[in-house]
This record gives sequence, structure tokens and C-alpha cells, in this order.
Amino acid sequence: MSDARTALYDDHLAFGARMVPFGGFEMPVSYAGILREHDAVRHRAGLFDLSHMAQYHLEGPGVGHWADALTVNDVATMKPGQARYNIFTNDAGGCHDDVLFYRLDENRWLLVVNAGNAAKMWPYLVARADGRRDVKITSGHGSRALVAVQGPLATEIVAQLVDADITVMKYYTCVETHVCGVPAIVARTGYTGEDGFEIFVDSDAASELWRNLFERGSRFGLEPAGLGARDVLRLEAGMPLYGHELDESISPVAGGQRWAVKTRKAAFRGRDAIVAELEADTHDRIAGIVLDGRVPARDGYAVYVGDERVGTVRSGSMAPSVENKNIATVLVTKAASVLGGSLDVEIRGTRHRATVVALPFYKRPTP
Amino acid sequence: MAQPAGLLYSKEHEWLKVEGDTATVGITDYAQNSLGDIVFVELPRIGAALKQHANIGVVESVKAVSDLFTPAGGEVVEVNAALEADPALVNRDAFGDGWLYKIKIDASSMPDALLGPDDYEKLVATS
Repeated sequence: MSDARTALYDDHLAFGARMVPFGGFEMPVSYAGILREHDAVRHRAGLFDLSHMAQYHLEGPGVGHWADALTVNDVATMKPGQARYNIFTNDAGGCHDDVLFYRLDENRWLLVVNAGNAAKMWPYLVARADGRRDVKITSGHGSRALVAVQGPLATEIVAQLVDADITVMKYYTCVETHVCGVPAIVARTGYTGEDGFEIFVDSDAASELWRNLFERGSRFGLEPAGLGARDVLRLEAGMPLYGHELDESISPVAGGQRWAVKTRKAAFRGRDAIVAELEADTHDRIAGIVLDGRVPARDGYAVYVGDERVGTVRSGSMAPSVENKNIATVLVTKAASVLGGSLDVEIRGTRHRATVVALPFYKRPTP
Repeated sequence: MAQPAGLLYSKEHEWLKVEGDTATVGITDYAQNSLGDIVFVELPRIGAALKQHANIGVVESVKAVSDLFTPAGGEVVEVNAALEADPALVNRDAFGDGWLYKIKIDASSMPDALLGPDDYEKLVATS
């Protein structure tokens, strides 16, 4: 099966993007270079096409409680205009997908799931909404686009193009408005560790929106940024990537997302397993490490303490925002996850020393 | 883009500059551009005996690890020490300051299937 294209495919080529298959779509991994794009996002702004992510529209008075039974975080208590990170779990407490819920009004929600999980999430959600008159789900995957502007200058770039006053929006809120004259959902959310906005529009409107944002943004040093920069940015910011820090066999707790698990919710899928895991507190878990040397650690490399194999690298990169050091997340034993502890990562047969550090690796400067 | 004259090229995108029985080896501008920002280069040790076509090191970009192959066999006589502190030299000047290592070519493994600049240009134009 060939990969789908987003509405911005031609724009990516026009901007010189290198395209790679990702989550069933041909996506830009980089334009002018990952480090340059990373620098733009941290200091000015980056422009991202995230239309590969699946957008589902949920509607009905039952959505909140229906979703609460399938996820670890609170949904029904969200207020209109709020956005919230959440995780769908399986019976064993593992992660089926990590997602964002946006509550548009009392009865309407936008749910954004990972592109790579859309093939399992769509039938999963449809089956669970089947026969319910209080939960209606429709897919906008492919017909809806998502463009993000991320970086300290994002507000100045986006504000003039939006009907609503986005300067007063708090982090993790959303509003239905118009952008460049077309209906849009604008959310102050992102996956880079910077301030920024995500703009959801019909695919038909995406190209004009992209060009308007680029034209206005280029005066502020905005650059198009690809999935390569996005991965480094999110790793520095300590944000999990499904398939790396989270998957069906890793619980939200083990994956470092304990904060999102509301065990006071009476029942949700996988709750018993997660509560048992929390009580025993013997599980392997995600930790952050900084390597001593210049050799990058990569997904899959073995992690040791002395001669004991204690785990595996799950994500790794050179980190421009962490003094150009090599950082990684590792899934390791409890004993090996202690802050300040020393680990060795085996890279091509040689052990390289690393230190366990607190996540996130990078926090944006407070304004 | 024309490929620099006076160099030989491998299909794995290494270049070789032969002077007497010594050759300087690097990766091509096409290769560095495909890799993107290079953050680490692992080179053979001085004195190491390399077998032709062997995997003798790696070049790592932000996203990926790529194996280095040697287009000719021989003994490593010099490595580009500047790459340790500044691996991006390969991005900035692949055919010049970003060279990787020098070998004393083993007479029994004189490079054979190498390409001239025109043939290498044809190779990358169709890649």
C-alpha cells in the first residue's frame, strides 16, 4: 500500500523537503536541516504539517463518561475550551494510544490520535460507540488538516490571522474561530516544549493557511520544520512518543506519565492492573539519561549497570538545548532509574557511561 | 552539480584521492547532504589494517547511523582529528576539511570498481 499525502504535499516539495513514510503518510522529515529547524523553534518559530495525525469528532451528552471508562485521565470534568492529554489503556494497563481531547462545547469534542495508531484506534472507538445514542463518532482523518506554529514568537505570528483574541488563551485551551477567513479550531497546544498553536482546518484550506503563516512568519524568522526536528524537540521536552516511551506493554506509570493517571476515577480500562503496579512499585520504568561522550545512544541499545543488563534505550538524540549533549530515554529497572545513578549504554560493542537525570531535559525559559 | 575532478568515487558515496601509494578518503557532498546534520564520526585507529570494502566506522547524523566502507584496503596512516570536536566539518566541506582518513594502499587491493567524476555524477543524478 502506498503512503497517503497530506493536503500540503506540494508545499513541502516547494520548500525543498525530504519526504519519508510516517504513520501511513509521506511526511517531511526535514527542510533546511534538522538542527536549523530546531533552532528556529526554540528561538523564533517553526511551521509544522501534522495532518497525518487522525482527527476524530466526538459528539453527544455521553462522550465524557464513555471516554472516562477507556482512559486514565479525566474527560467528563473538562470545561468547554479546554484541551487535555490522555491515554487509552488496555486491560493489562498498557497504552493503546496517547491522545489529546479538545472540548469544543458542552457536547462536541475533537480527539487527536497518533497517525501510526489510527488503523487500530478507529475500529476500537467505533466498536465501543456502537449502539450508543449518546456518543457519535466521525473521522476527519485525511479530510482535516493540522498546521502548527511553535516557538516563542508564535503568538505574534498567528494572532493577526485569527478572528479570536489568542493572546489571552491559556496553555492547553482551544477555541472555534476563523483563521484567514476559514473556519478553524485554534488550540494553544504542542509537542515541542515551546509556546505555540495548533490550527485545525479542512484539508481544502490547508495550503492557503500554510502559505499565509509562512509569509507572515518569515518576517519573524519562522521556518518550516519537519518530523526530524519535532522528534528532537519533544525528546528534550520530556514528552513521550508512542512506540518508544509508551506502547501496549508499557503502562502510563512505567512510561513516565503517572501525572495523567487519575486513580480516583472509579473504573477505567486497565485500572486494576495500574493500581496493582503502583502499589507493588517494582516495575521497570522510563528514565532520562545524559551520556558522557559524543556518541549518540539510539533506540534499542542495551543498558547495563556493571555486568547486569538493566534495560534498553527507547529514544536518543544529540540535544542542542541540552548543551549539545547526547540524551536518551531508557526503560530500566527501578534500581537503575534512581536520579544521579550511573549506567552504561552499549554502542557497537563498547560501553559508554551515562547519568540518570530528571525529566524533562529542557524547560522553556519562563517569560 | 559537477563532481570534483581528480577524485575517484565509490558506489557507497565515498571519495578517494590517490597520491602515490597513499589515499585520502571522505564521503561525498551528495552523501553528507543525504545524511543531514552530522553529529558523530567514528573512524578507524591509526595503524589499523583495513580490508577493501570492509565496514570500518560510522557516520551519525541527528536521525541515523550510517556505516562507512573503505573503497581500498591498506593501513590507516592518519585520521582527521578535527572531526572529533567538529563533526559538522563533513557537512560544510565534504571534499576538503571534512576528509575522514588516509591510508597507505595495499598494492594487492588497488581499488577497482571505482568511478570517475562523470560516472559518479550519473549515479547520483539517478539516485
